[in-house]
Amino acid sequence: MFLVEPYSFLTARLWHGRCCGTTALVNQNWMLDIVETVSHFGEPLARFVMKSFLKSFFALGLLAGVSVSAAELNVYSHRHYDSDAILFKQFTKETGIKINVVKASADQLIQRLISEGKNSPADALLTVDAGRLHRAKAAGVLQPVKSRALAKKVPAPMRDPEGHWFGMTVRSRVIVYSKDRVKPSDLSTYEALAKPEWKGRVVARSSSNIYNQSLLASIIAANGKDKALAWAKAVRKNMARSPRGSDRDQARAVAAGLADVAIMNTYYLGILANSAVAADREVAAKVGVFFPNQDGRGAHINVSGGGVTASAKNKKEAIRFLEFLTSAKSQEAFGNVNHEYPVIIKNNKSELLKSWGSFKADDVNLSVLGAKNAEAVKLFDLAGWE
Amino acid sequence: MAAYLINIAQHRLRHLKQEIRFKLNAWTISALILGLILFLPMAEVLWHLTSPAENWEHLRDTVLGRYLKGSVILVLGTAVLSVLLGVSTAWLVACCEFPGRKIFEWALILPLAIPTYIAAYAYFDLLDQLTPLLIWVRLNISPEAMTLLSDTMVYPVTIVVLAAVLYPYVYLVARAAFARQSSQCIEAARTLGHGPQSTFWRVALPLARPAIVGGVALVIMETLNDYGAVEHFNVPTFTTGIFRTWLSMGDLQGALRLAACLMALILFLLVLEKWLRFGARFHKSSQADRPFQRYALGQAKAGLAILCCLLPLVIGFVLPLSRLAYWASFNAGKVLDASFLKLTLNSVGVATAAGLATVVLALFLAYTARYFGSRTVGATNRLAILGYAVPGAVIAMGILLIAGQVTRTTGWVLTGSLAALVLAYVIRFLAVAWQPIDSGMERNCAQLNNAARSLGANAARSLFQINVPLLRNALVAAGLFVFVDTIKELPLTLVLRPFDFETLSTRTFDLAKQAQIPESSVPALCIILVSLLPVIWLNRQMRTPEK
Repeated sequence: MFLVEPYSFLTARLWHGRCCGTTALVNQNWMLDIVETVSHFGEPLARFVMKSFLKSFFALGLLAGVSVSAAELNVYSHRHYDSDAILFKQFTKETGIKINVVKASADQLIQRLISEGKNSPADALLTVDAGRLHRAKAAGVLQPVKSRALAKKVPAPMRDPEGHWFGMTVRSRVIVYSKDRVKPSDLSTYEALAKPEWKGRVVARSSSNIYNQSLLASIIAANGKDKALAWAKAVRKNMARSPRGSDRDQARAVAAGLADVAIMNTYYLGILANSAVAADREVAAKVGVFFPNQDGRGAHINVSGGGVTASAKNKKEAIRFLEFLTSAKSQEAFGNVNHEYPVIIKNNKSELLKSWGSFKADDVNLSVLGAKNAEAVKLFDLAGWE
Repeated sequence: MAAYLINIAQHRLRHLKQEIRFKLNAWTISALILGLILFLPMAEVLWHLTSPAENWEHLRDTVLGRYLKGSVILVLGTAVLSVLLGVSTAWLVACCEFPGRKIFEWALILPLAIPTYIAAYAYFDLLDQLTPLLIWVRLNISPEAMTLLSDTMVYPVTIVVLAAVLYPYVYLVARAAFARQSSQCIEAARTLGHGPQSTFWRVALPLARPAIVGGVALVIMETLNDYGAVEHFNVPTFTTGIFRTWLSMGDLQGALRLAACLMALILFLLVLEKWLRFGARFHKSSQADRPFQRYALGQAKAGLAILCCLLPLVIGFVLPLSRLAYWASFNAGKVLDASFLKLTLNSVGVATAAGLATVVLALFLAYTARYFGSRTVGATNRLAILGYAVPGAVIAMGILLIAGQVTRTTGWVLTGSLAALVLAYVIRFLAVAWQPIDSGMERNCAQLNNAARSLGANAARSLFQINVPLLRNALVAAGLFVFVDTIKELPLTLVLRPFDFETLSTRTFDLAKQAQIPESSVPALCIILVSLLPVIWLNRQMRTPEK
């Protein structure tokens, strides 16, 4: 026991905060219980009076609670971007709800939510891809949410049909090409990258990465398992080097001349273009963005999004938080600061994103990507794409 | 043959009877149980070598060969390079005289303070430096040649980085072996007309071989344990495979099966090491020999010797440390804040707990085996200290398994608790504390314990009034070693840390993984500075026998 104690002071603040936010609620339930017990002896009228009295009392208490001690919201997030810190601050300013963020990889966060179960302090989970949101839903750590605002602001393919999660921002996984050595007219579809003419000219990162897994899942959904495997095999054979590094490293490899095209996410190019490092800005200037499959199903997109955890103690605040992130202002901030597309792509306001042109997005429901994730990982293994 | 076997069986049985009749008491029973408990996670993992796993056939047919190949190439390359660096420098420092020898003698050990993953981050762009060469090959030879070159270069680069910080294991044991070698042997070789070269190849090296094999074994264990460096350079190995199978595929059973394969590989290597030593222990000779007359080197040769010693020192310590310090000087302001203090406290707190717990356990186990002369406890002790040879990722998997079973049967949630993390450290590093304590007891306390016993002192009194005071230095050293190893530890901490619980090593890893390597230099430097303390202590300790 003494092993655990010395650390308690470090987390005390977090726990204390949580209690403050929910004190009113807990007391209220306890009182309702008493009412229930009383009513058991039969006094329907008294029960009605008491209940309505308590309800108004509760409303007052909640109001008082908000104005006296600010409510709090505990968020588990995989997003480690500057845009989020800015938006969280803005949310606290507008609503008075303080946000405690715990950042880790989505896999760890989901494992954590599972093992914490009902006692989890988390109210909301944010991840950077639909696959993990789907996995969280399957693990039973998210709860369905009904919100008209969310339903209106998040298009149907970008959210879970049952409301367990909602997309907040969109990123497209595109083909980035060397402006010197490749004409955009040479490019057409993801499938075309499997052709022999691209031998030794393609780079992409490891298949351990969720973005690649989701891309292959979308190809499985569109073309079937066998064709998807053949595609992964052929693209792996066409690679200029074995998969390594981050998405940014793929752009660097193309700019340096190691390869001619890379498969990568759009917003990484935005980060490079706005980097403080001159070499990174040069990389961004040397490469172009190509949205594939425009004559067919559209370019593969994925969302970064979130949901309310099954154990949420501050469900109302969590929903309000998700609604805040989908508000027009927040959506614009995601674009300007982190170069992500708004969840309604055509509402994009960022000049940089506009410069890449508008595009048609694959409208497969993103929960399909999650459902086919495990299959995609296996196909990558079979294809030798490490 | 049959009679021989029956004879052995009878012999064993007699021993067992004796053990039960005379040596069964509260001490030995609890030591037995503790030893077995500490071995349990490893046994659990090994058990999964044959248990069914849904994705196993898929893993075996697709990726197992790749992991095996990657691990074997890394192990062979790192072992060979470590021997080259370690033995050559040890010979020069121990048996030759040249300017700067005294400084190199202790400086060559410094790379030991840099964990493999931090070395990889310090050299994070080593592969990128090859880009111009690769582009030249692509344009002038062929894209296929570039692909081949680029894919094969991953191995030498990783091997160089690993060997540059792991060679001191070989250097330390080889230097001690050369220094302790009976000068009579070497002088006899000289009188018989052998020059320095043939003395080295025909006398010194064969005599030092058992020690060198032991050092190489440590290098191999560390190589197989590494996760951060192979992850960074994208080398497919068992550890990366375990993490990928578990986290990307969400398949714990498959990951366990991989861990079991790795564990089997380690056991095979341990047996091989025993066999390579032909059962010989580290070479020991009487300490009373005259000091060794070192070969004096001429000017040209002395220059070469200095270069030879400078090379590993620069690659393994000076360069990485100065690069990290350079980055840290820019990023210290950005990284040093309240949360950094918290994770430093986390590191120190958990390492202190692990150090204390490990020392207490090791003392108890070693003492019980020695005081009661119990062979059974001795055997379970050997099982318990096996954890040092087993990669952290494997132990973590074992603990997860056991914790799952505990939760199912008793309802206690062990996963993600600090208790489970500390237990894992104890299992992983028990040998680090057990070794010095046990050998200290053998040297200093054996006779005294018997004397105390004949004078009527009981086991507890003998422990606290004789062994603990006499072994004070060994105990402190043991605690210090475990403390530092815990602070450096990465893979086990990554899996078992309580949520939201960051240490210096996990922060270094996380930052590096998010392509923020310059920022990661600050926690990395903290780890290196802490690790330097016992390295310096170890150095003094290894030198004393020389006088």
